[in-house]
Amino acid sequence: MQIVLAIILGTIFGAVLYWVGASSPKKLIAMLRLEDLTLMKIIVFAIGFASVLLSVFSLLGWFNIGHLSVKAMNLGVVIGGLLFGIGFGTVGTCPGTCVAAAGSGGAKKAISAILGGLFGAWLFSVTYGFWKNIGLFQTMDLGKLTLFQISEKYPAVFDIGYWDYLQSELSLWLLPHFYLLGNM
Amino acid sequence: MENNLWIKKALTLGTVFFLAVLLVKPIGVSTQFSVLSGIFHSALNETVITEDAERESGYRSTNPYYDKSDGKLARSIEHPWNYDFVFVLAIPFGGYLAYLANDKKRRSQMSDVDVTIPSTAKSDIRRYFPSFLGGFILLYGARMADGCTSGHMMSGMMQGSISGYIFAACVFAVAIPSALLVGRMPRRRD
Repeated sequence: MQIVLAIILGTIFGAVLYWVGASSPKKLIAMLRLEDLTLMKIIVFAIGFASVLLSVFSLLGWFNIGHLSVKAMNLGVVIGGLLFGIGFGTVGTCPGTCVAAAGSGGAKKAISAILGGLFGAWLFSVTYGFWKNIGLFQTMDLGKLTLFQISEKYPAVFDIGYWDYLQSELSLWLLPHFYLLGNM
Repeated sequence: MENNLWIKKALTLGTVFFLAVLLVKPIGVSTQFSVLSGIFHSALNETVITEDAERESGYRSTNPYYDKSDGKLARSIEHPWNYDFVFVLAIPFGGYLAYLANDKKRRSQMSDVDVTIPSTAKSDIRRYFPSFLGGFILLYGARMADGCTSGHMMSGMMQGSISGYIFAACVFAVAIPSALLVGRMPRRRD
């Protein structure tokens, strides 16, 4: 059953990445050069919308909290993010979008990026011991910290539950969008 | 109509993030690069991952990364046909279907064939090596951060995860100046 879901959800995800234009390095680069922010609007809106759905379903008790998976915060996230930015900014692709692009336009470049990525991931696996020994993952170790209380499993910065979060979320994320829409 | 198209796209993308976490777990891609490169690694060197019945995962590795979290990754490398791996394999299939569904005019808009430079002017290595190098840095960084755009930014920020917000801030702090810098570099004549 999980495998069937993997095929269905993976296929939809790949198709949607192509449809919104995220699989196109040209559009990602235009976004990063701040020339065309459409893709940025789509992604930020999508994250906010998904977050609202998550809050609503949790409040209604329709969501299995066990499905959540929060990643730990440490210095590796910062340095890794900065390195990631170099690749993202120069080539205009990221791990998910180059996999989606491998099946659509610009496939050869995408496959080159995937092969490079496999080497990068492998090199990280062999150098992980070094980074661990110098304490990269113990520095700035905040654990699996979240902004608001989503589950008893994870610590939160603000001691607020879904209900308060949903209200702040709606006002911070949704209202500015409606404001923008009204002015369009 | 065109003005509203981005909202439809955003709502669809958001629904996909949410459906994934509602039905199974948050979307993530970059871990599978470690799994696939680990499959090659362990095929070339059979002593890297060994069976260990005492462990819950059933595997032990001489590589500390595969061995992390009680050999979780070592197990995924030995048994890759799980949800996460198949999910990533299905992504290019979806991309291809959407590509086929596009009409020709839109397809050429979406494709990234470099029309400004004739294809004969560049050798294959010069054309594809930058993408290879970019992919290399991307995945090295993503594995160090334990997630990429999908796992940290989309899924992470959706869950209000601090690591997701910090990852996004670090990525854009470097990606925006790099993209601007690359755009300014004079195009070399071949």
